[in-house]
Parts: sequence; C-alpha cells; structure tokens
Amino acid sequence: MSILETISKRIEEKPIPSMVAFQILKVIEDENHSLKQVVKLVENDASLTTEVLKVANSATYFRGMPVNTVNRAVLVLGEMMVVGVAICASSSIVFNSALDGYESPEGDMWEHSLRAAIASREIAKYTKNKVPPGLGFTSGLLHDIGKSVLSEFLIGSTQSLTEACEERKVHDFLEAERQAVGTDHAEVGCQLAEKWGLPIALKTAIKYHHAPSKADAKHIALAYTVHLGDLIAMLGGSGTGVDALAYKIDNNYENYIKIDKDEFSVILLKVQEDFEIIKESLLT
Amino acid sequence: MNIVYVGVGDYATSKNPKEIVKTLALGSCVAIVVLDPVNRAIGLLHVALPESSINKKRALEKPGMFADTGINTLLEEMKKAGYQMGGRLIVKLAGGASIMDPNNTFNIGKRNILAVRKCLWHYKLGAVSEDIGGTISRSVSVNLKTGKVILSSPGRGDWEL
Repeated sequence: MSILETISKRIEEKPIPSMVAFQILKVIEDENHSLKQVVKLVENDASLTTEVLKVANSATYFRGMPVNTVNRAVLVLGEMMVVGVAICASSSIVFNSALDGYESPEGDMWEHSLRAAIASREIAKYTKNKVPPGLGFTSGLLHDIGKSVLSEFLIGSTQSLTEACEERKVHDFLEAERQAVGTDHAEVGCQLAEKWGLPIALKTAIKYHHAPSKADAKHIALAYTVHLGDLIAMLGGSGTGVDALAYKIDNNYENYIKIDKDEFSVILLKVQEDFEIIKESLLT
Repeated sequence: MNIVYVGVGDYATSKNPKEIVKTLALGSCVAIVVLDPVNRAIGLLHVALPESSINKKRALEKPGMFADTGINTLLEEMKKAGYQMGGRLIVKLAGGASIMDPNNTFNIGKRNILAVRKCLWHYKLGAVSEDIGGTISRSVSVNLKTGKVILSSPGRGDWEL
C-alpha cells in the first residue's frame, strides 16, 4: 500500500467527534441564531451538560452563586467557550494527542488550535466583507486537524524537513511535507473534514489556511482570516512543534482585512488573555 | 531540582541553587535573563509586546507583558530582593522570532527586541549574548547552580546562550 493510500485509510479510521459539537458550530455560524438553540443542543447531550456546568462552576467563572442550569451556564461562559468545551470533550484523539512527527507533545495541538480560534475570531472583526466572528473561531479551531493524521507519516523525516525549511530549499513547511509524503496537513485536514461532513466554508478554510489566495471568491476572506489567526497563534509562541513559524505570510490579506500594527498587538494580547481564562477553566 | 515556570507576561527572581527557572515557547516574545554574579541570583522576564501604551490597564495588572513596564518591574524586584544593580549585572536575551514575512508587516519579534534593548539602555544595561530573530520558537532554562542559560527548540535540541 502506498503512503497516500495508507493516509486515506487513516482518515477513514479516525473517529468522528460527537455530533453535538458540530451541531453547535453550525448553529453559531448563523448570525441570526438564538441562545436557545445552543442551550437545547447542550441539554440534549448528558456528558456535555455535565462538562459545561463543571466549567461554569469552576474558580474562573464562579461569581458567588452556583450555576445549576445549562441556560445560565451558556450565558456565563459564552458560546465560544461552550464550543471549546464540546470539541475538547468529544474529540480528544484529534486535539489532545501528541504529534510525534512534529515533535509536539500532548496538549500543544489543543493549545495552538484554541489560540488560532480566538485570533481568527478577532481577525474576522477586521474583514472588509464581514466574516462572521463565530465562523472565524470555528475555522481557526479546526484548521490543523490534518496534522493528527499526517504526524505518524513524518516520524523519521522531521529533522530533514526542518533543515529543508531553514536552508530555504522549500517555500515553507507545507512544501516540505509534500516532498516527504506526497501530501500536506492542509490537504489531509480537508479530506478529514469531508469525512466528518463539515460545511464547505470550513473545508475551504482548512485546505487553504497556508495558501489563502487559492480559495474561491466566496471563502477567500475566511481563508485569509484563518491564515492570519494561525500566524498570530504561532507568533504568540504556540505552534505544534518543529513547524512553528516555518510558514510565509501572504501579504495580499490587505485586500480582505484592514488591520494596523497596533490592532495586531491588541489581538495578540486578547488571545493571551482569553486563552488563559479558558485554560484555567478547563483545568480547574 | 525544583523547576519554576515563568508564563507569558510573568517574571521570577531566584537565588536558590536548587532551582531551575524556565520559560517556554517564546515565539515573537522575548526572554530577558538578568544574572547577578555576586549574589548568584537571577531574574527572568517573558515579555509579549513592546509598549504598554496599547493597554495601560493591562500593564498595571500584568506589567511583565510589555517590555517597558516589564523590565522596570523586574529590576525593581531584584533591587528589593537585595541583588546588585547597575552595570555589573549580566543580561542575556532570547526570542523575538518572526514568521517569513517579506513585507515585515507582522514583525512583532523585531519590535519586541528593539523595545527591550531601548529599555535596558535606559538602565545602562546591554546584553552580553543574544539568540534572537529567525523563524524558530525557543524555550529558555536557567540553572541557578551553574548559572548556565540553556535554549531549546523542537527538532533542534539544546544549546547554551
């Protein structure tokens, strides 16, 4: 069996995360959704209800009164946090595993994805054609899922991939991946998203987060949003191992996103603050 | 050995020879290591941004987040702890990495380095060694017993600063 066939097999074998997480993502992507829709989805899932209540009553969020209902918990946490809890609780195999091929320990993938999600949500607010911040968050959260499949195929060649990047023999780490195994984590992520039945917007953002100019006109602003969100997470020190910072920025983002240096600094700070809050809540 | 972790925007001082002070995954952030050879003490600060003017409230809550307020706070802490001050301190810098950005638009790493140097200069301090810039994310570890500052990065092993 060729490497590409084995990769396809691994994609097929990856368990699908709980549907409730994706249902919530789908609901909040619609700007006109109501809080009730999110609450109902959480209430229908007993384990997610338990997790959400646990976080809402954690030290970070506790405000003197115990939170006993999902309605109150969603208000306290905010929808994005609820999505974070749902994804974290239901797809730990994707987000919490170590990525050995990237020399990335357990937990790095989760941290990088969450930081990229927060950054993409903030970048979305600066897009000229108003990418919904919720869609930015979701796309940022899922942009690197392909690494959970590709990682095992890079074991043994990590060092040469890193050197190829440092010696500028390749455009970026994505090209190094393609040279090593014939595909890259963005492409594999898109195939995984296809298997999970994710909507076209998310599949496009995942596929083109390192090459946003190739996205179709309808989703190009979203692809640039995640492109910058990912880079912001990496600049903040949160990558997934050897490939952190080994990517090029596509400066054509200026056609879709209007942001200056100070606003960029504010986002870096916001990502750090929001991440600390979420992390503390999940670990309490 | 006891390991003390310094988070983003945090700092630590120590003269306990049984301690190792670490800060992880700097990215574009900068670690400022201040060594006091007389007292065999150190200070380590992990700054994320150059100037506190973008969020003064945050600078009051967490001065270590910014180069200008962070360096001032670290040196004041070291002074309070009775460590020596002035030109005999040894300063080392690490971090300030960037992504590959042909237009330098997002070169926050470079801005951080420049701000850190400027603030250190205000105290008549300059770094004796630096491992800065590039496209690698570094972690820093300072061993109080040996005084050695060790850097590491995924896929690149460890090396001394």
